[in-house]
Amino acid sequence: MLRQIDGVNVDFVALGLALGSFVATMGTWVVYFSKVPGGAVPARPVGSVILQVLAILLAVGAVGWNLQATGSVHAVVILPALLGVGMAVFFLWLLTLRKTPIGDLRVAVGDQLLAFEAVTSEGIPFRSEDLLGKRTLLKFFRGGW
Amino acid sequence: MTSDLESYGVSVVALSKDTTEEAAVHKERDALGLMLLSDPKLEVIRQYGVEHHKAFGFHTTGFIFFGIPLDVRPSFQTMAIPTSLLVDEEGTIVWIDQSDDYRLRSDNSLVFDAVRSAFPTAS
Repeated sequence: MLRQIDGVNVDFVALGLALGSFVATMGTWVVYFSKVPGGAVPARPVGSVILQVLAILLAVGAVGWNLQATGSVHAVVILPALLGVGMAVFFLWLLTLRKTPIGDLRVAVGDQLLAFEAVTSEGIPFRSEDLLGKRTLLKFFRGGW
Repeated sequence: MTSDLESYGVSVVALSKDTTEEAAVHKERDALGLMLLSDPKLEVIRQYGVEHHKAFGFHTTGFIFFGIPLDVRPSFQTMAIPTSLLVDEEGTIVWIDQSDDYRLRSDNSLVFDAVRSAFPTAS
């Protein structure tokens, strides 16, 4: 399945494998991160991990196939293969960071809130005493992004 | 979620390391109907022992195009561990939920179970 592109032989099996790698990882990113705002990401993202491993294998396969078929690797194969591997490795690396260092919490059920001061998003000073007389769900979160 | 909690008289207050300006951008962008508090010096976060030192996260400077943040920058920053505290009218903590996996949040049904058991009478 060789075709000439810019005077270089490009193997279309290799190109297909490389594009498959890119689609596998890009598709995971889109689906996975679309679930983040609703807090619906899976606790064990098995499918996403399998797709990342598949993306890496497809990229390696693409380069290997292309080398074997034409003795070189064309840019149109390298580019999607590199993107596929890069994004797959980044995704897997992000997953390794998922654990939080819990265990230092200074309050327990039954305790009073520790008095604190902060500022609202409107710039108004806020004191924890303002919460007295109200039922509150106080959430610590990582911040907007 | 916020309006469902309101039927139990529970209001949501969310605190992060974001500056006032970042919190204002976040609140407007996501049309959040809750109170956002800023703790950029991590004073409250450290006071409560919910500090995640040098966590990897994404940060936007607020350049938003049709609701999509275009200037999203990855970085290592110290931030809060996702933690929920349910507090009654006297300021007593009646329920705590903390995530050992920052990707996951307090399950809504868990929150409502806690609210219902702490406040059997809707206010």
